[in-house]
Amino acid sequence: MTELAQNLIDALALGSLYALIALGVTVVYTVMGMMNFAHGEFIMLAAYALYVLAGLPFAAALAGALVTGILIAMVVERVAFRPVRKADLSAQLVTSLAVATILQNVVTGAVNARPQSVATPAAISESTELGAVSVPNLEFLTLGLTAVVLAGLGWLLYRTRAGLAMRAAAENFEMARLLGVRADRVIALSFAISGALAAAVGVLLVMQTGQVSPTMGLTPVLIGFVAVVIGGFGRMVGAVLGGLLLGIASSLLGAYLPADLLPFRDAIVFSLPVAILIFRPRGLLGAATGEARV
Amino acid sequence: MSGVGLRSRSSLVVSLLVPLGLIALTVAIGASGTPSLQSTVTMILCNLIVVLGLQVFIGNSGVYSFGQLGFASVGAYAAALLTLPAAFAALQTPGLPDLIATAQLGPLLSTLIAAAVCGLLAAVVGLPLMRTSTLAIPISTFAFLIVVYNVLANWDAVSGGSSGLVSVPRTTSIESAGLWAAAAVVVALAFKWSARGYRLQATREDEVAARSLGISVMGERLIAFALSGVLCGIGGALAVHQSGVLNPTTFYFAATVTTVTMLVLGGARSVFGAVLGAVAVASVNEVLRGVEDGAHLLGLLSIGRTPGLAAIGVGLILLATMIAMPSGLTGGREAGELSWFRRLPSPRVPAIRAARAIDYRIGGSIDQAADGVAGGSLQAEGVSVAFGGLQVLRGVDLKLPRGEALGLIGPNGAGKTTLVNVLSGFLAPDAGTVSLDDADVSGRSPTHLARAGLSRTFQAALPFPHLSGLESVAVGAMGVGVDRRRAVAVAAEVLTRLGMHEQAALPAGSLPPASQRLLGVARALATGPSYLLLDEPAAGLSELEGEELTSILRGVIEDFGCGILLIEHEMSVVMSLCPRVQVIDDGVTLRVGSPAEIQADPAVVEAYLGSSYLTAANA
Amino acid sequence: MLELREMKVAYGGVEVVHGVDLSLAEGEVVGMIGPNGAGKSSVLRAVCGLVRPSAGEVLFEGCVLNGMAPERIARLGLALVPEGRHVFKTLTVAENLRLGGWRNGEGAAAMEQTLERFPILGARAGEHADRLSGGEQQQLAIARALLGQPRLLILDEPSLGLAPKTIDLIYELLEGLREEGTTMLLVEQNAARTIDFCDRCLVLGGGRVRAQGGREELRGDSELLRTYLGGQP
Repeated sequence: MTELAQNLIDALALGSLYALIALGVTVVYTVMGMMNFAHGEFIMLAAYALYVLAGLPFAAALAGALVTGILIAMVVERVAFRPVRKADLSAQLVTSLAVATILQNVVTGAVNARPQSVATPAAISESTELGAVSVPNLEFLTLGLTAVVLAGLGWLLYRTRAGLAMRAAAENFEMARLLGVRADRVIALSFAISGALAAAVGVLLVMQTGQVSPTMGLTPVLIGFVAVVIGGFGRMVGAVLGGLLLGIASSLLGAYLPADLLPFRDAIVFSLPVAILIFRPRGLLGAATGEARV
Repeated sequence: MSGVGLRSRSSLVVSLLVPLGLIALTVAIGASGTPSLQSTVTMILCNLIVVLGLQVFIGNSGVYSFGQLGFASVGAYAAALLTLPAAFAALQTPGLPDLIATAQLGPLLSTLIAAAVCGLLAAVVGLPLMRTSTLAIPISTFAFLIVVYNVLANWDAVSGGSSGLVSVPRTTSIESAGLWAAAAVVVALAFKWSARGYRLQATREDEVAARSLGISVMGERLIAFALSGVLCGIGGALAVHQSGVLNPTTFYFAATVTTVTMLVLGGARSVFGAVLGAVAVASVNEVLRGVEDGAHLLGLLSIGRTPGLAAIGVGLILLATMIAMPSGLTGGREAGELSWFRRLPSPRVPAIRAARAIDYRIGGSIDQAADGVAGGSLQAEGVSVAFGGLQVLRGVDLKLPRGEALGLIGPNGAGKTTLVNVLSGFLAPDAGTVSLDDADVSGRSPTHLARAGLSRTFQAALPFPHLSGLESVAVGAMGVGVDRRRAVAVAAEVLTRLGMHEQAALPAGSLPPASQRLLGVARALATGPSYLLLDEPAAGLSELEGEELTSILRGVIEDFGCGILLIEHEMSVVMSLCPRVQVIDDGVTLRVGSPAEIQADPAVVEAYLGSSYLTAANA
Repeated sequence: MLELREMKVAYGGVEVVHGVDLSLAEGEVVGMIGPNGAGKSSVLRAVCGLVRPSAGEVLFEGCVLNGMAPERIARLGLALVPEGRHVFKTLTVAENLRLGGWRNGEGAAAMEQTLERFPILGARAGEHADRLSGGEQQQLAIARALLGQPRLLILDEPSLGLAPKTIDLIYELLEGLREEGTTMLLVEQNAARTIDFCDRCLVLGGGRVRAQGGREELRGDSELLRTYLGGQP
């Protein structure tokens, strides 16, 4: 029973992490309609900020990571995505692939292809007793951070002027513009949010693994994409749901898979969306995915 | 067949010879150089085959798959394991079944088996993936890539794990790579220009229009996906027999970006583009790799070790291409279609007055000669449709007999287009039935209806911009299963009868709007329909063009004997063409009658202009 | 105030508006009628910046609008109530209205006034906009546009899909606006009502202006009938 509770908490923590990734991808998708491959590199660069700022007090390094994530996202949008804003979605996806490659290899060239270790506060690697269950502090942090982020995002979207503009633009971009909402600003804001979310994920990943590497963003971005697909495109709730499902599945598989199948955990997890898509081609929440129908 | 082809002979020859020539040139340069250069060039040729695999799927379907290098990986591993000497196999892959471990096949056989394995895998994986939407495919294929990587990296006993395999026999010579590459070019071109390839291209050009012509989007994508898997598998197999080593990252993310860049730079729609892009990007890659290790530029600049420089270069090429030149260097055209060859003759479509080539009905349970069910009709009974609480159609009836023209008019928002969407299978009615020649087809897909003899056009012409007029119309016939040769003959005949044979060779996207509309009609006619639904064919036409359209449509009714439902707002066209007109307003039928009756009917006038108009007019 | 000089609109090479002239003075209420496909919506889209005119000029109070972004045009004082209303279904009525006042910084007084003038909206301010009926959504769209305190109010087929009684209500509303001096451009397919309501009307057919005039001139006009129904009755 204790073990089950332990595994469930682990699963929830991982699911929260994945939900954060999926949210970061969805925020941009709902406003722009594009899936951003480079989101993984936003995560990676924020993580490297922690590495670079390792000498500073941890709080300062965290702030640096956050700023890095937001800045990179906004710069990439301005430089690479604005010129192709009018292109079709496949073209935008491929453009984001190009950006991802460039960013990944700039870091490889500037730092190193090998993983670098990052010192994290000792408290993070410890665990806290919660009754009979021993929960790693990192998982508390993850759950807590996710809750804070969701609350913050909710506040931003539903209680601020800017958030109102974003929600309107996400529903009907053209109509929002007709009312005077500035397209450029809304898009920049959505990328900024996406970058902030990426920074959160990057920080958590560093604390989990204790290292950074140029390719560390690859699996997360895939997780984000897959979560969005199985949740049903373009719905933030769907993304969170998809992320939770993926994370819980992954974690539980990790706990209960027989040892010889354990290395294939990722393979099984990523085959999950295919199974879902067979039965529900539009994802679990089934939002419209641009299927052509007259 | 009297020499009507989709392209002139010289264009065909040039399109074939130029990429083959480029390959031959590459082989020649490589063969005459140092062993190191030979090795590099051989690898370039192997990559070219993978890029051609990408082209077959991505270029023709317009959908990006990021998983094709998963097939290259599988093909490479399969070929490696089949040729690995038993001793090495025992060392590196202890878990391999004895049959494979002891097998030591020759390069040709192992490549063929690898190709077959990949093709099978692609067919199996493609089945669920191609069912998903166009935007989900890039993501799910990306997931496939990572699954393949994960399995290969962890299945130590069979694949050698993340350290991979070594001592694979190096049997790929530059000449054999060149031959395989040439074969791949021929296959890619042959596929692109086959009936199947054209059907797939139609889904790329306009998915909605393609479905209305009887094309199964998922089916065509699946076949191309499988063929693509085969080609990528061959490329991978040859590559591993060139380098002798292999690990899961060989064909993974970096290689995916590189090959996609090669395809995009050349121009995804073009086979020649794939070859061009592969050679160009590979060359840049090699140069940059050299610089990565530190170099002196012209004796002036000194660059230290910069790993990742080549990949940055490739990424920048991709980014620049997407922003500035999204159609690539070739603009998606084959060698014989480029403007350098402007002087080459275009296919002529002679004025054919042959026996009607369109007397066919393909497949399914409806297998009849054109004059079979002379008394048949298309009928809607009690059709009702609501969109989220708004009732758009309330129990509408409609009867369209063969060989007759029925006009469908009504104010904006009356429900006409919705009715046509129901009749043509794009929308399922909430209540009521649609029957075609007494067979209930309610809720059947547009693809099914096209093959059953119902065809339509759209308010927006929905042309296939990059296909020529002749090709576009031929696709109509191919969509219902006619073979390529016959489809071209049918297309020629239809175009001639519609007076469009002089524009047949031009890309549909370059034609003026009136011609695009007419082309849409021709395309629908090529499916050999018993019933043709025309949605505002005269919109935006001048008065003169409208008159021309009217006489053409009149000829169509006489020659082809199909029933025509004409939605129009240009009353002159409707009134002069249709002996019967049905007026729909607010989701119900107001009146069915002759044009004169309609124009005089006060209820109709009121629907359009309001009652106070009538009062004033009669005052 | 608004001037169109030989404006043409083309979508992907297909010209749908072949040179339209229009001039609208402050305080005028002008209508544009014609059958579907005549190009009315295209004219509006060009004026509001959703599509760039392929030729000709659009001038608003002397300012050239060609190629300007829609949000800039909106800030100049043009408000569009689009065909199909396009209220934001995932937002509440109040939030929809807040967006309307976007360019003015949402004065509380203006909001109060609006809620008084549109009592139904006031009663349902906290509900999501998709719970409103068609007529209520139309009111919301108009109220939203008015909150921007526009110099020119453009309405694209406000009566589309509404029951006759509701249409009466809407037109009463518009009458009230006219009395306050709001300049309006009204596009409708329902000819009779529009001719009655507007100071003058343009009749569009096939992308061209087929007829123009005030109430007396257009009522019973045979050219008008021909544009809609073709041929001679």
